[in-house]
Formats: sequence, C-alpha cells, structure tokens
Amino acid sequence: MAARVTSKRDRTGRSRVLTTLAILYTVGILFPVFWMATLMIKPEAIMFVRPTVWVFEPTLDHFAFLLHEGFLWHLLSSLIVASASTLLVVIIGTPAAYAFSRFPIWRSDDLFIFILATRMAPPVVLLIPFYLIYAKVGLIDTYVGLVLAYLTFNLSFYVWVMRSFCRDLPVELEEAALVAGYPRWQVLLKIVFPLVRPGMVAAAVLCFIFAWNEFLYAFMLGGDKIKTLPVAIPTLITTQGVRWGEMSVVGIVGLLPVLAAVFFLQKHIVRGLTMGAVKG
Amino acid sequence: MIDTDTASRAGVNRESPERRFWYPYLLIAPTMVTLVIISLIPFLYTVYLSLHESKYGQVGGFIGLENFLVVLADPRFWNAMGVAIVFVLIAVPIEFMLGLAGALILNAGVRYRGTLVPLMFIPTMMAPIVVGLLWKIMFAGSWGLVSYNLFERFGILSGTSIFGSRNLALYGIILVDIWQWTPFMMLAFFAGLQSLPVNPYRAAAIDGANPVQVFFLITLPMLSPLLVVIVILRLIDAFKIFDSIFILTGGGPGDATESPSIFAYKMVFEYWQIGEASALAVLVWLLFFGFCNLFYQVAKKRLNAF
Repeated sequence: MAARVTSKRDRTGRSRVLTTLAILYTVGILFPVFWMATLMIKPEAIMFVRPTVWVFEPTLDHFAFLLHEGFLWHLLSSLIVASASTLLVVIIGTPAAYAFSRFPIWRSDDLFIFILATRMAPPVVLLIPFYLIYAKVGLIDTYVGLVLAYLTFNLSFYVWVMRSFCRDLPVELEEAALVAGYPRWQVLLKIVFPLVRPGMVAAAVLCFIFAWNEFLYAFMLGGDKIKTLPVAIPTLITTQGVRWGEMSVVGIVGLLPVLAAVFFLQKHIVRGLTMGAVKG
Repeated sequence: MIDTDTASRAGVNRESPERRFWYPYLLIAPTMVTLVIISLIPFLYTVYLSLHESKYGQVGGFIGLENFLVVLADPRFWNAMGVAIVFVLIAVPIEFMLGLAGALILNAGVRYRGTLVPLMFIPTMMAPIVVGLLWKIMFAGSWGLVSYNLFERFGILSGTSIFGSRNLALYGIILVDIWQWTPFMMLAFFAGLQSLPVNPYRAAAIDGANPVQVFFLITLPMLSPLLVVIVILRLIDAFKIFDSIFILTGGGPGDATESPSIFAYKMVFEYWQIGEASALAVLVWLLFFGFCNLFYQVAKKRLNAF
C-alpha cells in the first residue's frame, strides 16, 4: 500500500498541516448545510437581516407550519416508497446478481449493458412512457406505480453492484457444499446469502437513499395522495414568496437518513457509486 | 476476480447438463421479467410514439422519422446540447483536478480519516433537489450567505442575482455541481491510491526519486485506468443533470441553463409535444447506450472490473 511507505513520516509536521487542510475543506463544504440548519429555527423577522444574525431566540414556527400542511404525511410517503422499493429490489435482484456472478449466461455482455443503461439513462427519458402508460391504466398517484417506477434505477443498480460483491466470494465453499450433496437452493440460502449479507445491506441502503432522494418520478407520477419529501420542497415556493424556513426543515429532515448512511456505509459508498468498478 | 473457467467450475456437479443449463436462467428470470416490463416495454413504446404524429397529447398516424427531423432542426435542441457540453466540459475537469489533489493529500497522511471521509461524502449523497435548495438559499436575494457576504459586502457583482443572469446562471449551476461532486471524485481516487501496490514506491525510494517523479512516473500511470473510468462515469452522470437546475433556474433565464433533460421535460409536460419529445428521448437513450457501452468496456478491460 502506498500509504504504508509514507506512514513513517506520519508523525511529522507535514501530517499535521495536511490534516488541518482536510478538516478545513470538510468544514468549508459542510458550512452551507449548517447554515441551512440554523434557518430551521430562525424567526422569519430576522431571516433577511444583514449582516447575518447568528445568535437568536429559536422558534418552532416553521415546524408548526409544516405539521399543519401535512408534513408528516409526506414523511410517511417517502418512507413507504423507499422501503417498499428497496425490499422488492433485494428479493428480486439477489438471485440474479448471484447467477450473473457465477454462470456463463447467453449474451451476458449485452444484458449487462442493457441493465447498466436502464440505470444510467436520464430519468426524464423513462418518465415519458411511464407517465403516458400510467395515465391510461390509472397508476398515477398510487404507491404501486411509484414503487414500480423506482425499480428502473434501483433494480438495475442493485443487480449490478451485488454481482460485484458476489464475485468476491470464493467459489470453493459452494463447490464443497455441492460435492457434499447439498441441493443448490440450500447452498444459496445457507452459504451464499449469509456470506454476501454485508454487501447486500450496503447495496440496499444505497437503494433506499436513491429512492429517498428521487425527485422527478415522485413529482410527476405522485399527486395529492402521494407526495414525498423532495416533492414538498418546490411546493414551498409560493406566489406569496418562498418559505425559506420551512424549506430548510424539509431539507434537513431529508438529510437525516443520508447522514446515517454515510457513516454506516463507509468505503462501500465508492463501490456503490462507481457501479462496483472501484472497490473502496 | 473469477474468470470464466472458475465461473463454469461452480456449475460442475453431479447434476445432468440440462439441469445445469436452466438453473441460472431461473435465478435471473424475476429480474429479467421486471426489467422487460419497466425498461424494455417503455423504451419500445417511446420508439412507437416517436414514429407517430401527436397533437395535444393525442397519438395520431404513422409519420416515419419526421419527429426526429423536427427535433434535429430545432435550435432549442442544439442549445440544450450546447448547455450540456459547456456544463460537462467545465465542471468535470475542475472536479477532476480538485479531486485528484484532494486524494493525494488524503493519501499523504491525513489523520482522522475515519470521521472526515464520511463527512466529505455528505454533499455527494444529498438529494440533488436539496442541493439545489441549499444553493438557492445561499444565493438568495441580498441576504443569502454568499450573496450577502461575498457579493454585497465586498461589492463584487453586487445587485446581480447569479441565477437570474443569462450570462452567469450556468456558471452558478457549475459551481453547485463542483461542490456536490468533487468529494466523490476525491474519495474514488483515494480508494484507487490506497489499492496501489507498494513495491514500485519502495524501488523509487531506493533510487532516490523526488515526489514529482514518483507522481508522474509511478502513481499516475498506475492510477490512470481508474481515473478514466471515473471520469467516464461522471461525464455520463453530469450530462443528465436535472433536479438542481429544475429548482435553481428551471432552465432559465430564457434557455441559458436548459439541459437536455430539462428540455425534454418541458417538451412533454409544458408543450405536450409527445411525438417530438419521444424522438428526443430515443436519441438520448441511444446516446446513453453508447456511453454505457464505453464505460463497461473500459472498466472491464483497463480496470479488470466486472
């Protein structure tokens, strides 16, 4: 490892300077988020005062307004859609990811590119047929409709990344079990799935975040009944002005699962976001 | 890494060849059926729509490639492509340079990485719509953190609203993208640096190479496949930008920040030009098949991934 060569010099002043730089960068990029968090509890009256007021009596007005507007309902919608689509993806996608990692499959390269393109294509491209078909069959503003639409990016993502995790498993264990006479489904349930579970959890958490963060499908395929958190944000730009405080609350609440995920996932994030190309 | 030989070895057992043949297909069947329903059928439907006339949201008769010709002759289409190209060609190289520099710094002995790295990932993992909102607030009126403290107080660009200016709006969007995606580049490159073999560095240390030589003669050549793959991935991703533009400018002022995704969105949901929008979607889709193919082949061959 390259890091090991330099590690002898780690305790020198250089390391201290670099660490300070890294901390400054981190604090710098996160400062806007912190500022948005202060707007959550900042009274409307001093929000636009210049220079920026940093010390003030916190208010819960923005929360109260959102609760009155059915904010908890949006939160619940977001949770339902993200959880349901993630669960479905794990159930449908895990066997496929395993099969792709172990068996020669007819025209697998073409299949992979098709799967990859489903994930990478701009959402608006898929939204056009989805919207028109949904309008015909009455799936607009239904949970089934939105969850199905989320499978487009999440199922392809999950299969792709899980395939990379499955390839890391040594084949010998499965061979030994097969030679010992275990039927294939037991090998899958008792050996493969427990071994790839960390990867499964990581990929599923990423799927959850992608669904949680998704805006365009939710905006166009949702409606009065199903309104996720991201969709609530533009609705706070009203004709009477922008409700900055309320928007900040929605933004920060939307950020909470992301915060939990970055610490939980650690190095799996790189692997996930590069579709398994870079092993973090 | 399991090559084809090992992969087929996993299939070796006492079962008959026929059983072996259908078993993997049974496992991939649910996924493939789902993908046919949610991806292939919508795609074919889009192709169908692109070949038909449409008026006020109603699908009419077959008109061949006319919708495609209309789109290709539309200056707004070329404007959108131009916006995407300017955006990508400015944002991605800056993210690349900053990311590479950051990765080298991280790799050169930064402490507390266990805490700093996850924190750095926050912008990348944030919902793009929230990112857009955050920067909308930063630049809001004359009181936002940036618009007041940088612009008003020091009199730079004072009185102009970045996202309201035809000339500046796209650069504002680029700035937001750099904020969001530099950490991703940095941490992906850092992961690459961490996995480089140590022996070339030992040899270089013995030969007395200076840090600049080590970087250009050892690190860069060994890291380059990964750099290429990440840049391709980022180019694909940046090209389809939608959410943050949607909330920051809505494609405006005029069409100054109208990316292809925003253009397609407006075509369908504002003007209801379903035929033309479908033609555009088919073109974009084909483009992305090409992009994905490139990403796949490069990652597979040069990075030994997949």
